[in-house]
Amino acid sequence: MAEFTLPANSILTKGKKTAAPAGAKNIKNFIIYRYDPDSGKNPRTDTFEVDMDNCGPMVLDALIKIKGEMDSSLAMRRSCREGICGSCSMNIDGRNGLACTTAISDIEGDVTVYPLPHQPVVKDLVSDLTNFYAQYASVKPWMQTDAPVSPDRERLQSKEDREKLDGLYECILCACCSTACPSYWWNSDRYLGPAALLNSYRWINDSRDEATGERLDELDDPFKLYRCHTIMSCTDVCPKGLNPAKSIAKIKQLLIERKM
Amino acid sequence: MKDLRSPLAKAKGLGASGDASHHFWVQRVSALAMIGLVIWICFSIAFLPEANYATVVAWLQSPLNGIITLLFVILSFYHAQLGLQVIIEDYVSSHSKRLFGILFIKFLSYFMMAAGVYAVIKITLGGH
Repeated sequence: MAEFTLPANSILTKGKKTAAPAGAKNIKNFIIYRYDPDSGKNPRTDTFEVDMDNCGPMVLDALIKIKGEMDSSLAMRRSCREGICGSCSMNIDGRNGLACTTAISDIEGDVTVYPLPHQPVVKDLVSDLTNFYAQYASVKPWMQTDAPVSPDRERLQSKEDREKLDGLYECILCACCSTACPSYWWNSDRYLGPAALLNSYRWINDSRDEATGERLDELDDPFKLYRCHTIMSCTDVCPKGLNPAKSIAKIKQLLIERKM
Repeated sequence: MKDLRSPLAKAKGLGASGDASHHFWVQRVSALAMIGLVIWICFSIAFLPEANYATVVAWLQSPLNGIITLLFVILSFYHAQLGLQVIIEDYVSSHSKRLFGILFIKFLSYFMMAAGVYAVIKITLGGH
């Protein structure tokens, strides 16, 4: 039952330190997780002294500066730099978030940057989200209908019903919530996690969708849904300010409602 | 052997069991009942005039006290069984060990339940 030895390559070592250019006055240390599974070596943390007088305000600005000017071998994902693509999700200062919307000034002392917790690491800050995306696909995140609608008509939705999707449709699938969830850490092979469940509820709650019952059927499972114990880490870390815990509670409520 | 199933096939797994909402519901209902029962049992024992054997037996022999104590014994072990099952599902990842743990918890809780019911009946029906 219990494993008393750590798997190979799991002990973190101290890596190199890269100093700021001479004359830099306003220095902030960035302690960054580095791991290359192909090298066969243990992961390490490298320290980079960043000249803050010559750097943008966000953590992503510093990471791009480090990659561009100090160590080009640093691997990370980033794209939009404005919190809409969800690529630069990582663990910053012990908390999951988007590097592009996390201000360096909000972090006291050294800035630690790790990949998302409890996911396989592809390299450095890039984690393998294959299972996360497959779980998202498994909730069939698209509209399912049986009733035919004339091809020249839209499927109508009232303004009030459309408003019910606010707080749900904004999810950018950055995986901050699911990888912050202890229940997802222990059982991510079977527990769908907050992101997939929020997206499932987005369609359960859509007045135009006609597969509500089938969607609920597919979630009535001790692992897929009920591993959620309302820990609320998902809601706490969501960089978009969404509330996956509430969506999961609503799904549980509907599963009871249809019994009565 | 390399697992060549697609990530989607793995995520879907064996599908939904279809009865998990029952476990969730009865856990909540039994918790709700336990609120009243625990308050009742704590106050009843605290307000006993004396804490000796004869007083407790006399208290338990009142029909209402006997019935509520039976409910408390049955529901507390039932609720414990449901909760412990959740903990085992959370932390025991090996399928065979998980099954063994859940069966052990279930058998133990039903045994304790039966022992408690037997004890209450024995006292209330006068054999002491």
